[in-house]
Amino acid sequence: MKLLRTLILRPLRRDLLRTALTILAVALGVAVVVAIDLAGDAATGSFRSSMQTLTGKTDLEVIATGGIDERKLAALVALPFDVHFAPLMEAQAIVAGIGAVPLYGADLAGAPEGLAVSKGLAGRLGGGKSVTLEIAGRTHALAVGQTLDSGGEFLVLDLAEAQRVMGRYGKLDRIDITVGAKEDFARVEAAIRGALPVSALLEKPGARSEENQRMLRAFRWNLRVLSYISLVVGAFLIYNTISVSVVRRRAEIGILRAMGAARSTVMGLFLAEALLFGVVGAALGVALGRILAGGAVRLIADTVNALYTTSRPAALELTAGEVCAGIVMGAMVALGSALGPAREAMDVAPVEAMSRGAREHRARLSWRRGLVWAAVLAGLALGASQAEATGGYPVGGYVAALLAIGAAALAAPALVLGVNRITKPLVRRQVYGLLAGRSLTASLGRTSVIVAALATAIAMMASVGIMVASFRETVALWLDTQLRADLYVKPAGQSAAGEYPALAGEVQGLLRATYGAAAVDFFHGVPLHFRGERATLGAGDMEVVRRYGRLLFLAGQDRDAILRSLPGRDRALVSEPFANKHHLRAGDRVTIPMGEQVVTLTIAGVYYEYSSSQGYLIVDRSTLLKYLPGQAATNAAIYLAKGADREAVLRDVQLRTAAYGVTVSPNQVLRKSAIEIFDRTFAITWALEAVAIVVAMLGAANSLLALVLDRRRELGILRYLGASAAQVRGMILTEAAFLGLLAILLGLALGFALSLLLVFVVNKQSFGWTIQFHAPWGLLGAALCAVWFVTVVAGLYPARVAARLEPVDVVHEE
Amino acid sequence: MGTPRLELSGVSKSYESGEQSVEVLHEVSLCAEAGTVTALVGRSGCGKSTLLNLAGAMDFPTAGEVRIDGRSTASLSDGELTALRRERVGFVFQAFQLLPTLTVLENVELPLLLAGAAKTAATAMDRLRWVGLEEKAASMPYQLSGGQAQRVAVARALVHSPLLLIADEPTGNLDEASGEQVLSLLREAATRYGAAILMATHSAEAAAIAEVRVRMRDGRIQAIERQ
Ligand SMILES: Nc1ncnc2c1ncn2[C@@H]1O[C@H](COP(=O)(O)OP(=O)(O)OP(=O)(O)O)[C@@H](O)[C@H]1O
Ligand SMILES: [Mg+2]
Repeated sequence: MKLLRTLILRPLRRDLLRTALTILAVALGVAVVVAIDLAGDAATGSFRSSMQTLTGKTDLEVIATGGIDERKLAALVALPFDVHFAPLMEAQAIVAGIGAVPLYGADLAGAPEGLAVSKGLAGRLGGGKSVTLEIAGRTHALAVGQTLDSGGEFLVLDLAEAQRVMGRYGKLDRIDITVGAKEDFARVEAAIRGALPVSALLEKPGARSEENQRMLRAFRWNLRVLSYISLVVGAFLIYNTISVSVVRRRAEIGILRAMGAARSTVMGLFLAEALLFGVVGAALGVALGRILAGGAVRLIADTVNALYTTSRPAALELTAGEVCAGIVMGAMVALGSALGPAREAMDVAPVEAMSRGAREHRARLSWRRGLVWAAVLAGLALGASQAEATGGYPVGGYVAALLAIGAAALAAPALVLGVNRITKPLVRRQVYGLLAGRSLTASLGRTSVIVAALATAIAMMASVGIMVASFRETVALWLDTQLRADLYVKPAGQSAAGEYPALAGEVQGLLRATYGAAAVDFFHGVPLHFRGERATLGAGDMEVVRRYGRLLFLAGQDRDAILRSLPGRDRALVSEPFANKHHLRAGDRVTIPMGEQVVTLTIAGVYYEYSSSQGYLIVDRSTLLKYLPGQAATNAAIYLAKGADREAVLRDVQLRTAAYGVTVSPNQVLRKSAIEIFDRTFAITWALEAVAIVVAMLGAANSLLALVLDRRRELGILRYLGASAAQVRGMILTEAAFLGLLAILLGLALGFALSLLLVFVVNKQSFGWTIQFHAPWGLLGAALCAVWFVTVVAGLYPARVAARLEPVDVVHEE
Repeated sequence: MGTPRLELSGVSKSYESGEQSVEVLHEVSLCAEAGTVTALVGRSGCGKSTLLNLAGAMDFPTAGEVRIDGRSTASLSDGELTALRRERVGFVFQAFQLLPTLTVLENVELPLLLAGAAKTAATAMDRLRWVGLEEKAASMPYQLSGGQAQRVAVARALVHSPLLLIADEPTGNLDEASGEQVLSLLREAATRYGAAILMATHSAEAAAIAEVRVRMRDGRIQAIERQ
């Protein structure tokens, strides 16, 4: 303990700034992981609707594609068991000035008439007697009957009233079932099953939220893995700090060993130092993570909304368990990364007590061996990248990424030496170029670690940048093929992915009669539960799609023939993610519940699609209406006739549908908003990258500062020999620039490899879509210049310290 | 004989330590002339190193004046001081203080490189030849013995033909034979390159090569002996 205090803690206190930088780096790394986890839980964990919490304990629930016929309820109620059935309707209502709010229809027998408003919403409504709602294109003024003592924001209407305002007579969205305690659950379940049409889904209530979690797991996994990057960068920094600590104290360690200290004691000392960094950093990190989560939860909820389903962020909850997990994580990362240097400390022989310490320590690193191992790891990475997804996770891709990072780190020494050799003639002219190059190659081990850390962060930035740009480019191209119509009509109000508010029935007739329209394609979106996953059952007019659209099918499929084969037949198209997720190919058969029946569809083709990783199953309108008669259309696409004036038609359609609460958007507006949603979706990614870069910068500043402090005497001598303060500063900045350059070179190479993994392995396996590779060279170049600039800026403080050293003091201190 | 290259007149130096200030040099006056070796001798802690730092314009007196080549060091700007060190002053230290990351030749070249001079390698090689270590030019400092390293340090201190060479216990870490080699080099530097050499030393052998011996005690000059 005493040893720990004198050998480890005291120097830490003397180097307060460096200690603080290291701890801060660990803290940031841990904070990001904690923040993403907390925010992810909050943003995706609250799928159970507020209504479900209101109705209390539910044992089973019934749902069906396109709704359940109300008459089935009577059959259920007639069952001779002690069972309670609660029929439910669900829709999004648009409240003026507030936006979309869930509206539930429920059996409110005995309650006051009129609309029931949750307490959370009542406050925002300002206590008016009546509320104006817009539902499925129609406006309703409803009297407020009561305020429900329940959190969250939602509205409840009596069932019949709800069916009226939703325009869905005779349909139920869900039936919640509570089974009496004395009943034989299995028997009851079997009886209910028997009373329901084959197409209805009878599930435990957890199943839906499990389905949600399953739907989001790939998304959350990728986010989580991305959040570990900062931690990896932090691990490099701890490794670096402990290495420096060992190198500086070789003589002291030698003396300790000469005085009889055991090897394990020495190793323990340095592990303790790392543990200190890890635990203190992680504790700070958990607190910081809780704060960051507040910002992240909004970003994640946006993404979930745009890609998957309605999500209302729940409260952030930081449990004691999570705090402990965060701290243990920090400690493990710290111990793991300190193991190497601590082992080196352990191997210091007592004779080194006589050595003159750090300055004479030669880097033991063999660049040749490093390069061989790098090649081995790169080979393994290549192998791992070929692996199939395991349980839906791209494990092989992640392993390959980790191996690639390892390979880059091992190749770093060779790169440092190589680049130094190449730049030698250039740099030789400037004396600080010479000095900087020499000092970096002299402490090869250290230089390599910091280059590897910086490179990892840069590689992440570059690879994710390439991935996002590729994705964006792919989506933009796809939008070109997808959005062929001139005008798009959909119900007003924002709605999340997977939610399909209906167009008012009258709109169909109005649109068909539009003057100047060559064709109108009505699309029906219906939530579908397929093999325990969510998806969308869609229907459109395939003849219109064939004649006017540009649906893009996977290679080798005849678009025209496929589209011709759909109308009037039980045939379907599936989107690429759907096909990949469920391992389907053209010609395969799938069975899905529709209306009262279970229908077997033959897959006619697989088409490219990028709006939902859950996927689409598309049939012709006639097929859908055959099984789900009266199913309302959810949006429409209008193709203009040749020579029609688009502006005029737009105005005409807007005018005529004004009473039905729809928005009519021209093609470009829709495309723009699609791209905007895309960009918003990736905002969280950029935030994560920024943190990784900041951590790496802290590392660069930290290492340069260590380099300066360890070479105090040399820097003093330089001043005696006629170096000006400016030259010393220039030398340190040159080192910073050199480090930055090396890191960028390595980072770019690694980043390119990682981007291939992200685009072709991780994305494909996680989300099921094929992305075209597209490197945004301009943006990448600008970003790398910025990184380089920032590295040099990170050198400013160490450079200032170096320039301000008192030569007289440092040369004479012993 | 020659003109004074270095003049100290009434120089005092005190260090603040806490509340009180400790005077480590008290009204010291002396001068060093071109081509002569001046030795500072005295007990450990008497202020030799302090005086050398003042003389080399690395530090400044609390009172009195240090003039190098006629110019008072206290009046010079940072840039002028750097220029002064580059052109007129060379240093040799007790612990050789070669830069471990540079080769022997580069170490010798360094002052010229820092000053942005031309034909640095040739001049440096010339000095290395003079100290007899030409064949070590490409070696790294850790491959040298202590005596060789100090000879390299002497070559480095003289590479830019300084007017003034400051040496703080140049033989302090060396055995007798190596010490003698270094001393004869310093002696020769004074005669051959015309430098004024100011050297602090504990050794009688070193003091013996000096024309002038300045005996110090507790920050004061006790006696100046000329040969
Ligand atoms: N920066 C400083 N602050 C306070 N006191 C100092 C400082 N530098 C030196 N001293 C004191 O000044 C006195 C003279 O020190 P100096 O190094 O000049 O002695 P020296 O004659 O060179 O001794 P040695 O022969 O041991 O090298 C000493 O008492 C020392 O403690
Ligand atoms: Mg001294």
